[in-house]
Parts: sequence; C-alpha cells; structure tokens
Amino acid sequence: MDFPSSLRPTLFTSGPLGLSNVPDLSFMCSWRDALTLPEDLPQSAENVAPHLARDLRWEPETPGPYPLLPPNPAPWDPGLTAQDLLFRGGHHFCKRPRATLDVTEQLSHFLWHHGDIAFGPLGNLMQENFKLEGARSRSKKKTVVSVKSLLQDLGGHQPWGCPWASLSHRQRRFSILGGPVLAKSVASLLGELLQEELAGRWGQLLLNDTVTGGALAWLPGKTSLAGQLVYPTGGALDKLCFQEISLTPGSDPQVLGDPGHIQLRGPVRQVVSRTVQGEALLAVRSDYHCAMWKVSKQGRPAPLQVLQVEKGATGISLSPHLPGELAVCSRSGAVCLWTPQDGLQRVYKDPKTLVFRDPSPWRWADFTAHPRVLTVGDRTGVKMIDTQGPPGCGLLLFRGGAEASCQKGERVLLAQYLGKSSPTSLNPSLHLICTQFSLYLVDERLPLVPMLKWAHGLPSAPLLAQLLPAPCPSAPQPLLVAGHGGQLQLLHLSGEGVSAPRLAGPPQSLPVRMDALSGFPLLEPTSQRQLQERLSAPTLGLTASVLPSACTPGLALFHLSAAGDVFYQHLRLQECSGCCRNTQPPRDPGPESHAPVGAAPSPGRTPTPAVASWTPQATACCSRWLKALLKVPQPPPLWTAPTFSHRHLLGYKQQPGDEGRVPAGLRAAMGRGRLLRQQDLGSLPTAEPPPAPESGPEDELSERLSEAWEGRGAAWWERRQGGSAGPGRQVRRHKRRTQLSSTFSSLSGRWDLSDGPSPPPSPDHLSLEPRPRPRPPATPLSQELWARSVPLERQQTLRDYMAKLPPACPTAASATPSQASSIRSTPSRRQAPRKKSRMGF
Amino acid sequence: MSDFSDELTRPMAEADEVETSMLSGTGMYIPWLRKQMETVVTGGRKEKDFAQTTSACLELIQEALLKHEWQKAAEYMHSYFQILEDTDTSKRQAAPEIIWRLGSEILYYHPKSNVETFSTFADRMKNIGVMNYLKISLQHALYLLHHGMLEDANRNLSQAETWRYGEKSSSQEILINLIQAYKGLLQYYTWSKKKTELSKLDEDDYAYSTATQNMLNHSWKTSINFCALIQIPGVWDPFVKSYVEMLEFYGDQDGAREVLTNYAYDEKFPSNPNAHMYLYNFLKREKAPKEKLISVLKILYQIVPSHKLMLEFHRILRNSEKEEHRKLGLEVLFAVLDFAGCTKNITAWKYLAKYLKQTLMGYFRYVSKQGHQVLRKKIKRMNKSVKRYSIVNPGP
Repeated sequence: MDFPSSLRPTLFTSGPLGLSNVPDLSFMCSWRDALTLPEDLPQSAENVAPHLARDLRWEPETPGPYPLLPPNPAPWDPGLTAQDLLFRGGHHFCKRPRATLDVTEQLSHFLWHHGDIAFGPLGNLMQENFKLEGARSRSKKKTVVSVKSLLQDLGGHQPWGCPWASLSHRQRRFSILGGPVLAKSVASLLGELLQEELAGRWGQLLLNDTVTGGALAWLPGKTSLAGQLVYPTGGALDKLCFQEISLTPGSDPQVLGDPGHIQLRGPVRQVVSRTVQGEALLAVRSDYHCAMWKVSKQGRPAPLQVLQVEKGATGISLSPHLPGELAVCSRSGAVCLWTPQDGLQRVYKDPKTLVFRDPSPWRWADFTAHPRVLTVGDRTGVKMIDTQGPPGCGLLLFRGGAEASCQKGERVLLAQYLGKSSPTSLNPSLHLICTQFSLYLVDERLPLVPMLKWAHGLPSAPLLAQLLPAPCPSAPQPLLVAGHGGQLQLLHLSGEGVSAPRLAGPPQSLPVRMDALSGFPLLEPTSQRQLQERLSAPTLGLTASVLPSACTPGLALFHLSAAGDVFYQHLRLQECSGCCRNTQPPRDPGPESHAPVGAAPSPGRTPTPAVASWTPQATACCSRWLKALLKVPQPPPLWTAPTFSHRHLLGYKQQPGDEGRVPAGLRAAMGRGRLLRQQDLGSLPTAEPPPAPESGPEDELSERLSEAWEGRGAAWWERRQGGSAGPGRQVRRHKRRTQLSSTFSSLSGRWDLSDGPSPPPSPDHLSLEPRPRPRPPATPLSQELWARSVPLERQQTLRDYMAKLPPACPTAASATPSQASSIRSTPSRRQAPRKKSRMGF
Repeated sequence: MSDFSDELTRPMAEADEVETSMLSGTGMYIPWLRKQMETVVTGGRKEKDFAQTTSACLELIQEALLKHEWQKAAEYMHSYFQILEDTDTSKRQAAPEIIWRLGSEILYYHPKSNVETFSTFADRMKNIGVMNYLKISLQHALYLLHHGMLEDANRNLSQAETWRYGEKSSSQEILINLIQAYKGLLQYYTWSKKKTELSKLDEDDYAYSTATQNMLNHSWKTSINFCALIQIPGVWDPFVKSYVEMLEFYGDQDGAREVLTNYAYDEKFPSNPNAHMYLYNFLKREKAPKEKLISVLKILYQIVPSHKLMLEFHRILRNSEKEEHRKLGLEVLFAVLDFAGCTKNITAWKYLAKYLKQTLMGYFRYVSKQGHQVLRKKIKRMNKSVKRYSIVNPGP
C-alpha cells in the first residue's frame, strides 16, 4: 500500500463553505487532472505527457438500455410532481422565480371535495339554532339561521363546481357570515400540518435520500459469469427477487428460470451484497428494518438476522474484511455494528451533525482499509471512527468547507469506500464522496485534502456509485456514478503504486433509459405516454460487472427503475484505447514532441467510434416487454370527488349508538383545540360508505385497505391480531412491531425452508436504541483455542500462516499466536464467554 | 476594460441566485431545482430568447463533451461566444471562466487541435476579464510543460508573475506565489540537468567553473521563487522536494532542515505523510542519531500506521536496546498487517516470523535453564522445528 510519492500541489485553507477570496486551484478540467508534474528529472520532461488516453471510451452496443426481465406487474404511478405542490401563479414582481408551496390550493381542494369531513362536525353541532355575531346592527331575527332549513333549501341539490348555482338568500347570508368562521377552524387545525407535509413531499421530490446506495445487487455465483440479480419488485417494492443470470462475453445475458422471491413487510430501499472469505452475504434495508442473509454456494439465502431501527434506518454497509459484519445508521444519529460474534453494538452516537448545523437526519456509514475503523457521514462531512477507541474520538476525513473548496450550499450526498472490489489497482484507502456539484476522491491517509475533484454536473442527485475492477491489468478502473433521475457517468480512474489517483481520460456519459424509446415499436398516444412515463421513472439501483474477454473487454450494466423494471446495457471498451495492449509508444524526445496534439494517432486507432444500433435480440426483448407492459392495468385515477349527499350530515343524528360518544369526543377535542381523530372516537360511525376502489388480487394489504376504506380498519386489525386487543395503544404498537420484525422475512417461491439447514426466519429483533439488551450468542470462527484471544481481523491472516506450517509441529504453532496475542494491549472486550451461535455461522 | 470594478464583485453577484435555489430551510443548494420549477411557473417574467439559446447551447456543449463528440462541441462553442454580449452583467462576467473551462477541454481532445491553436485560445482568453489572467496563464504553462516546451512555459510564467491588477488581493497574492513556484520548478529542472552534466565534467576543466557559477545563480533565484509559497499552508510536495535538494547541494543543511520541519510539523498544514517521509529521508542522509529518527517515525506511525516506512521503523525498533522499543516494534508490525492493502505483504510477514522466532528462542533458553529433563527434551525438538521452518519456505 504505497502512498503517492509526490502529491499534486494544493492550497489548504480551512473555513466555511464558499469562501470566496481563495482561488480554486482545482480547475475542474479533466485534462488539467492529467497534468501531473513530471517526476524529478528533466530528462523525463520530454515524455512527461502521461498516457492520457484521448479516446478511452466504453462504447454502448445498443443505443439505449433495454429491458432484461419482464415488467413489474404493478402499475407505475409517478406520484406527486412539482406541479401538484408549487404555487402556479405569476411571478410578476420577482426577478428570479421562487418555489412557493401552494397550501391554499390543497386546502381548498380538501374543503371542496371533503366538505362533509371538514364542516360536517361543526355543522352538526350547530344544527339547531346558532347565532352569527357578524352584524350587530341587524335585528336578531335575521342573524339566527337554522341549519336544518338551510339544508332543506338545498333540497339534495349540490352545487359542486358551480359558484353561480341558484342559492337562496338564507344560504347566501349563511355563507357570507359563516364562511370565515367555518374555514378558520379547519385552517387552524389543518394548515400547519398540511404545510409540514407539503414541505416534506417537496423536499423528497428534490432529494429522495431513502434510495441512497441503491436497491440492486449482483451476487456472484460459482463462476464469474454466472450470478444472481437481487432487486425488489411489486407495487410497494416489498418483494425481494433473486434472478439467476448467466453472462456471456460475446452475447446477451441469459435469464435462467423464474426468479425466487422473499416477501417482506416493507419497501426495500437498499440491497447490499458482499463476498468475504468465500462467504456471500446479502443485506437489505427497509425504512425501519434491516435484514441480513447468508447465501449458500447454490445461491440459496438463509436468514441471519433482522434488526429493527426505531427511528428509521438511513444506510447499511457490509464489511469487506470480515464476513457478516454490518454497519447500520439510524436517523437518530447512531451507528451500530452487528457482528455474528458480538451481536449488536453501538459504535457512534451523535444527534448533531459533524461540521456545521444541518437539519437533515441522513447518516451514512462505511468501512475503511482498517477492519476496525468505520467512516460516519452526514450532510456536512465524513469522519473516521475507531470502533474500539473511546467514544467521541475520530478524525474528519472530509469536511464540507474551504478545505475541499466546497461551494455555498454544498452537501454530502453519498460516501463510499472504494477499496471493496478486491482486485483493485487503486490504493485500497480511497473513499468516494459525492455532493450535488462534484465528486471527490479522498485518501484516508491524508484526510481533508481531496486527491481528485471532478464537477460531475449531473442534473439529479448522485446517489449511486460503483467502482469496477480494471478490465485488464494496467488499465484504468471504471467508476460508475448514477443520478437519481437516471443519468449515468463513467469515469476512468488510474493511479497505481506511487502515483496519485487521477482521471485517465475524459469522463463519459452513458445512455439513459429514455434512449431505449427508439427500440420500441411506435404506439398509439396513450400507450406511448404510458411507456415514456415508465421509462423515465427514477433509478433505484445500479450494478455492473466487467466481462473479461480475449479481444475486447465488456461491461454488463444493470439498472433498476423505480417502477421495478430491470434494464440491461452492454458496453465494450473501444479497441483503440490501447490500454490493454500497451501499444502506446513512448514519445520521442526532440522536435516531435512539439507535434500537434493528437494529430498523429498511434497505429491501430480507429478514430470513428462505431455507431450503436439495435440488435434483433434487443428489439425482440423490447417488444416482448412492451406487450407485457400494456397488459399491466393503468393506475386508478388519483381521486375523484365522491357524490356525498347532505343527508349524511343529518344522518349522524339518527345513529343511536354514537349518540353519546361522538359529540362528547368532538366537544372534548374542540375544547382542547385539537383535531378529532378516529382513535378518540373508538369505532367509527357506520355511515354510507363511498364506493371502495376495486380490490385487486387477494392480498393482505388490499384487504386491509378496503376494510379501512369502509371504516372497519380497527375491527380488521383486531381480527388479525386474534381478538386479543390490548388496552393501550402503546401495547398494540409494540406488538405490531414484534410481528413485523418476526415476519419481515418469510421465504416463499423456489426455496423451501425445510430442505436446508438454515434456521427459520429469525425471531430475534434487536432495537438499535440504547436500551439494555441481552448479549447475543457468539461463535468462535473456528474451533482452535488460540483463535479466541486473537483479534478477529487477524484470525484469517494467522490461519493462513498456520496453513503454511507443516502439521508436524502443532505445539509450536499453538504457541506462536498466543505469544502474539499476549502482547496485545486490550483484548478485554473479547473476554466475554462465548456460546454456540444460533445464526448458523 | 471599463467595467473592471464590477468584474471584481462577481462572486457576490451570484449570491442571490443561490438564495432562490435553496431547499426550503436546509440551506442546501439544489442545482436541479430550477428545472423542476420551470415545469410549474407559467406566468411572470420569462427568460429572453437570448438567454434561452445560450443556456441551451451550454447544455449541448456539455452533452457533446460527455459523449466525446469534440467536433460537435467545437461547433456549439462557436455559437456560445454570443454570451459575451449578454446584457445580464452577472452572466456576462461568469462567462469567460466557463468558456475557458469548456474551450480548453475541447481543444485538449479535439483531433485537429494543436499547441498553436491552444496557445492562441489561451492568450485571447487571458485578456477577456481580468479575473482569470493568472489562472489561465498557469494552466497554459502547465499545458506547455506537458508538451515538453519548457522554455515557452517559463516565458509564460514570467509574464504572469509580473502581472498586477489593482490592489493586491490575497487570492492574487497566492496565485502569484504559485506561479513563481512553478517557475522555480522549471528552473530546478534546468539546474538538475546542469548538475548531471557537471558530474560528467572534469573538475580542472575551465567549463567546470563557469558551470558551477551558473548553478549558483540558479539556486539563488530559485530559492526566492519557492520561499514564499511554501510558507502558505498546502500540499507542496514537488516544490519542497526540489528546494530541499538544491539547499542540500549547496550545503545549507540547516535551511533544508528548517524547511522540512516546518512542512511536516506546522499545525496549519494538512497532515501530509510525505512531509514526514521527506524529513525522515533527510535526517537519514544526514546520519542523524537513532533517537531522532525514531521520534520522526513515531509521529508518522500515528498518522499513517500502514505507511511503507513502517517496516523500516520496525527494523530500527527491533535492533534497539530498549525493551519498550522492541514492544513498539511488534505493535507497528501488527498495525501494518491489519490494513487491507498490507495483509499479503511478504516482508512484513517475514519480519513477524523473525520476531517470533527470536522470542521463542529466548523462551526455550529460559525454560531449558530451569526446567526438568523431560521438558528440556521436548523443547529441544520444538527448537529444531522452529529453526527449520520459516514462513517463506515451509519445510525443506
């Protein structure tokens, strides 16, 4: 692990973001990055121009990615857009447009469409007679209005959408006098909550950080070319699928059989896979749960552990050093490490952000080149912490500030350790840090000073990145960076041995899913729109695999879209890059070095890139996929105004059962100035239900939803619980959680639980909050006695050493490491008694 | 050249644009917010056609660059120059930097471009907007340096060095220092060349004395060039390295030591492992006492326990008389072996094996001195096997 012998000159200033009076020495040109200073001697000055491959390029084979697997059978609904949330009025006096949330429109929609809910209770209270204190001058007779007579005036007629419908004087007077009062009560109760909700939705539309890290993973199989894609599917992305894929260097990948799947109780946000010391592990993050599986050689997952994160998990990562170690970060600012030996332990906790104050609860953690050091990141910076050191210590690896010449408003969006892919030619101590403007490569041995900075200019948040192994020795390593909106960039990184990491060529963009449109047959406008909408869904996951080949190395790239579709793109390294053939002749000293730049391409270069075209297989894939897509039912229209009649308002009175409770509850709620919620009333009044949405296939979610829609949600829940309704909400919530976590993973499909040695879905659930917990059982990794006192990270290496020794001297061997361990200073944490694991390690 | 004064306030002019693009309440800037809003805002002030075409053009250039379509990008660039006539002052002032960044990128990769084209472009750009003169000069010089045109690069830097605009601001000062340092580096290259020539010459030769004279001149000039920059916090590896080499050559050991100590231990500087390595190598050349070397490496050990000098550190510690040093030596070795890139380091494993062997031997000796007859025999056997097997050659 060599440190670059001479680093690029960099100015080091400390200070806040956007410090303007400091020249930005990182000039942000890819060519500038290649201009490292010539090493030491002027003799080499003639051939200093480092090999900056002008045409280093991964050429896509098809104009765009095409669907590899059948479409997700659930309809895709793009959800809220800026148009739904923002104020659409003119900005006549504003020089620059400003985003304003349109609360009034949403509120008026609510009042308009749900008048019965908004005004019903109040109207009901005021039914008999009430006094409107609007105008004192008028006689008392005129200010007293009977609601009953008002409603009788309406006579069942609803002037929906027609402000000029014929109204009686009484009604008009009522609306003038009562309008402010009625609207005020609703606005005061709902306004603030609505504003908060809309701001949250708008924030999520601009930056959806739940998908950070990506929900698509590649599990390598027996050979490097076979493996499984792991991705979520289903309407709520809660079904984890395992699809076997066989890659062939020359042609399209083969999809083998139907995918196996695991039904989870929550949307899958992140899927991580890692193979360490021959053990393949898979970890999944949902909003409030994380789960881990061990994948056998046959590709069957066996559940290891389910963790519950009370405040919500924001990121997980698997250790590249030790099998089964999982780092989990929660919104509360805690970072926990789960190991099969020691169970769950909290290694870091700080609700505050690292560098300056930022309201985002997003946290991230990853591993480093040292097995016991983790990085902890938030929006403002990234810190390295020693899990064995005292709490609170650590070293800032990246600081959002003048050190990295950050701009004003710049925030960390992704932090990734790049030493994970094992055959790496780059130093295994590099970390990638992405912000909305730039990406940085930071070496953990020289914190705070980025080794490389590149302004990616992506038009959406870069939340996914993957460093791939070099396609052939001494070639630059491709680094893929994907924006949430689907844009993809590929950077070529090189920096072997004692040279600093640098861009080996100009970065390139890769085709997006919308580019696949040309591969589909022309459609009628409605279907075309459906297709376009589906193709432009945001990217949720990205994974790639380098296909080594004798002639031209290939790259298999898989994307997962938010609609649950998996797309595939094949890229191949342009032949003329020459990086794999070492054809680049050293430049001759003398006048020839003054030759025009790139005017004389070296032999073997083909300056014109091959134009990608659709292969018959790809178009066949596209049309097959399209046929299946058009069968997917359209999402139901968002919401249409139900045709309520005023009779419900009167109808409340006729219900004998609710006579006492509802008004009492309402009065109590109004007295406290709070919203009246269903829980306050107990069971709901059984009013005439609005037409329920069509229920789809028989599943629990839709069943529950339709029950809830008809107002029997609580009853359904109680039925589900087996009639044992707890008295308090707290108990119920706890039970729900227990049930959720115990059933978070239930195997179905291809894998039968009974035929494997794997334990049933883990009943364990551990809270990430700092409450006392029983120490989980631990397993020594091996049966050898010495292993107990040796730190985990050294066991493998020591075992390797032992393997080298002949079996003839067992005594000497056992004496050797114990000698080593006795010198170790504090192995105290490991002195705890160990039991055999239940988790199958 | 009349609007110099408002060009200097350019960074401020961008501030209000930032304001509108913050994510409500978080202070975070969202570059893609404008696009989202464009889908909504229908009324109000619309962008002028001019602004629309220039921003579309910029997007096309960026797209072409990312697709490596240099020809296409160059064509769009031709149209993009219209932005220099934008009536919006803030945009017009930000333009030269964008043009330089994109233009130099295109010219660097364009198949028909050459050094002359690039130089012409750079010279033109230097004089559009004073704010960029120094930056562009520096990059231009680096470009020339890369194409082996040391003299042109030197001339360029000399020109830039004397450039002044208005009151000297701190950023100007730093850039000028940087330019001087690069110039110093170029001089170092020539000096270094002369040094190798000199080593071939005979000492009694007449040419020898003139050459030495030449070199002395060089050294004096160069040291001035380096001095100012390396006082400023930063990573200045190439400059420090060459400066120290020259100082050492002229026997200014104290000066060199001071430069290196300052570079390694000044708290305002980032903790650069190379600074410690340079200092250590210097002290080693100087034949400094062992204690001094150990103290330098101890600090490096705390910063970068995986550094390749750690094996050397272990070797020094192993041969030390002190018990604590020997203990630290093992700690250092284990720390090295923990790191991902070092677990397969054969030298480190060899050292560990050697260390263990030594310790075991000592132990056996101790036991056989006190132990019983039976134990002694057993230990003798073990002793033999320990001696016979090493990690590198497992067994005969």
